[in-house]
Amino acid sequence: MFKLDRKLIISASVATVAALFVAGCVEGKATPAGELTMNGKPTIDGGTYSPVANGMTGPYAVNTQETANINHGRRATANELKAWDTDVTPTSPPPPGSGTVSEGEELYEAQCVMCHGDFGSGGGGYPSLAKGNAYKLQKTLTNQRNKPDNDGPVRVFGSYWPEASTMWWYIQSGMPHPNTKSLSDDETYALTAYMLSINELRVDGEVVEDDDFELNQDNFGKIEMPNKNGFEPNIDGPGALDDVRKYYANPTNFGAIKVKPSERCMKDCQKPTAKVVRIKEGGGIRDFLPPISTVRDLPKKEGGFDPKAAYEANCAMCHSSFLAPGSSDWAGYTGKGIAKVYANGIKGTEGGMPAKGGSSLTDTQFKSVVDYLIAGK
Amino acid sequence: MKNENSQNDLELSDNSTESSRRNFFKKTASIGAVAAATALSANQATAGDDPLIMHHVKWGQKLGDPVTKNRYGIPSAYEHNNTRRNTKLLASGNFQASIAVCPIHESEGIITPNGLFFSRCHGGTAHVDPNEFRLMIHGAEITKDIVLTLEELKRYPRVTRTHFIECPANGGQEWRGPQFNSLQFAKGFMSSAEWTGVYIKDLIKDLGIKPGAQWMLAEGSDNSEMGRTIPMDKVWDDAMLVWGQNGEALRPEQGYPVRLLVPGWEGNLCVKWLKRLEFSAEPFYCKEETSKYTALKKSGKAIQHFYANEVNSTVVTPSPEKPWTNLKDGDIVEIEGLAWSGMGTITGVDISFDGGKSYVEAQLKGLILPKSWTRWSYMHTYKKGETLLLTSRAMDDAGYIQPTVDEETGVLGVEGVYHRNGVETWEVTAEGKVNHVQIRS
Repeated sequence: MFKLDRKLIISASVATVAALFVAGCVEGKATPAGELTMNGKPTIDGGTYSPVANGMTGPYAVNTQETANINHGRRATANELKAWDTDVTPTSPPPPGSGTVSEGEELYEAQCVMCHGDFGSGGGGYPSLAKGNAYKLQKTLTNQRNKPDNDGPVRVFGSYWPEASTMWWYIQSGMPHPNTKSLSDDETYALTAYMLSINELRVDGEVVEDDDFELNQDNFGKIEMPNKNGFEPNIDGPGALDDVRKYYANPTNFGAIKVKPSERCMKDCQKPTAKVVRIKEGGGIRDFLPPISTVRDLPKKEGGFDPKAAYEANCAMCHSSFLAPGSSDWAGYTGKGIAKVYANGIKGTEGGMPAKGGSSLTDTQFKSVVDYLIAGK
Repeated sequence: MKNENSQNDLELSDNSTESSRRNFFKKTASIGAVAAATALSANQATAGDDPLIMHHVKWGQKLGDPVTKNRYGIPSAYEHNNTRRNTKLLASGNFQASIAVCPIHESEGIITPNGLFFSRCHGGTAHVDPNEFRLMIHGAEITKDIVLTLEELKRYPRVTRTHFIECPANGGQEWRGPQFNSLQFAKGFMSSAEWTGVYIKDLIKDLGIKPGAQWMLAEGSDNSEMGRTIPMDKVWDDAMLVWGQNGEALRPEQGYPVRLLVPGWEGNLCVKWLKRLEFSAEPFYCKEETSKYTALKKSGKAIQHFYANEVNSTVVTPSPEKPWTNLKDGDIVEIEGLAWSGMGTITGVDISFDGGKSYVEAQLKGLILPKSWTRWSYMHTYKKGETLLLTSRAMDDAGYIQPTVDEETGVLGVEGVYHRNGVETWEVTAEGKVNHVQIRS
């Protein structure tokens, strides 16, 4: 009974809102418009909510039988929880441990530089990690490339991310990319310390400059992230969900527009200055794989294996950039014999080469691609 | 009933009757030499007859494949161009942190075949042994921490729903102007399926969720250990764990054996290869919650936890891939498209022939479901040589309407990357070619 009453109250509270939009519904369609509230509060995303009514949620029928104490699965053990509950957040700091900037730099040079570039400068499509002083770069976030010569905003760890905990957790759970979850807690502290130094971030008021600077559980919470307050809506604290609901209840916050269907523009909807913007001559993006075609024919018979095509598809992204040996600098690798080069390539290396470059080539095919690369493409 | 159009078709089918006749005799001569025995004996071919009708087709007389072939069916070999596609621009260094986009220019209805569903991953497609799958549900804001096997998970009451999944970067390369002369690349960071699984609210009903619970972490077991924070409102509404996709198990690219599905919301929230749900009072600031998937506004502030994909639409036919170059003057053709909203149900679509100066109402077709692709249609009489600017504009039952490009960039600027839903325009040239353009002031 209480349920019914509450439903009526909710319905009444949204009746005026709903009335605005019912007119826009397609005539004769049975599905009721969703509600803009859930349990008496604005919906969390600014969208509609379809409560279960008369055994239906929106257009879908549901089983409304009441059940209690469904008891599948088993309790997690304490050790299992410890093994998997490894998230690191602003309110759940990293485990005990420590690492210095110089230790981090050594790890970085061995395991990270081939993708993220010198001093985190990026390259080959992989993300940049630093572009200089984070506090200065944070000021670029209002930059807009709306004119040809404008510089864009710099969105790297130091200048953009609100929390340093994200970096620690990211490194330990998702890096290095070809061999994740392989770094110890101390190594993760060290790499994070190196990230602080190349972004020129402050810890407890001091810029991290010294190679001997040590990051540990005690000073981790004192990292000063310049863009900590650069995000909306607020998601912290016990009132977070109310803040989120309020934010998305206002379409202008996120570039959306609401209109009564009967009042939408149908004629003379454009400014006189409106013009057609085309893809720039010679511009646009065209390197589609496979090339676009809508022809209905039989696929071309697979010819012999083409090492060039396989190289382009699987290897070029690193080996044709500075991230990995190109065709001119193989002398240092082939000295130990080509068999060693093949084996390293097939198994992958700690230096960042994924097994067979992450491809699904056979060993024989892979070797012919290595030959192609070493021979100078 | 006499059909004047079809009469016209025959007459207009070739500019020169003479040359058409010559070609025909050439063709029949050569086909006849090879396949004389298969000609339909009662008929004497004349100039207007199609040899494909006048002769037995090559697949019509020999035995076809036995039913034992392709026990799991595959598309006709002739359909090989209907496929996902990549571009290096949309790869973070390699094709393990990348996206393969859906050929929506070839899409039919509101369901994407599983093999064509767009594929986005941050550390490659994981291949999970379903026997080794474990799901842990735990956290400070839940009384009972449990572990489920796949078999145990599937004991909960099943729910089946049709929803699209869209990457919020769909169209995100085009804030500063059009880039892709392709529907597949301009709007194909999305697909749609009928999903089967369990509501998370049913899964946690008896586990003792505490009143302080505000957030649920969902974490994957793959190389990237992708994680995202979901607010409890979505959990109490329609968030699901799904294992079924269009009547079969999820594909590996979609997170086999189990992924999160948050209907209508950013695709990256639908964490794949799932291993863990944690309930908490405080948010998690996961790696993809701030380093990516935040929309930097003109003001310099960025929107975080930007959940729902807003109301959107596109013209599917014609498209840059499927132009109108073969149409004749007076042909009556269907302009057909897709509309979708992660915030509700599509209530209407308008179509403009002048790039958004004026609109007329198109008609919705087929099933009209919440947070789902919805088909729309408008019949058009094609005039040879006409130039058009086709723009579609959708509305949903939450009251939203698609903004113009100017309206959207006015608030968000051009650096947001994500959640671009301003109206899109196809330019139809005098030759019937179709180009992706934008209308901007």
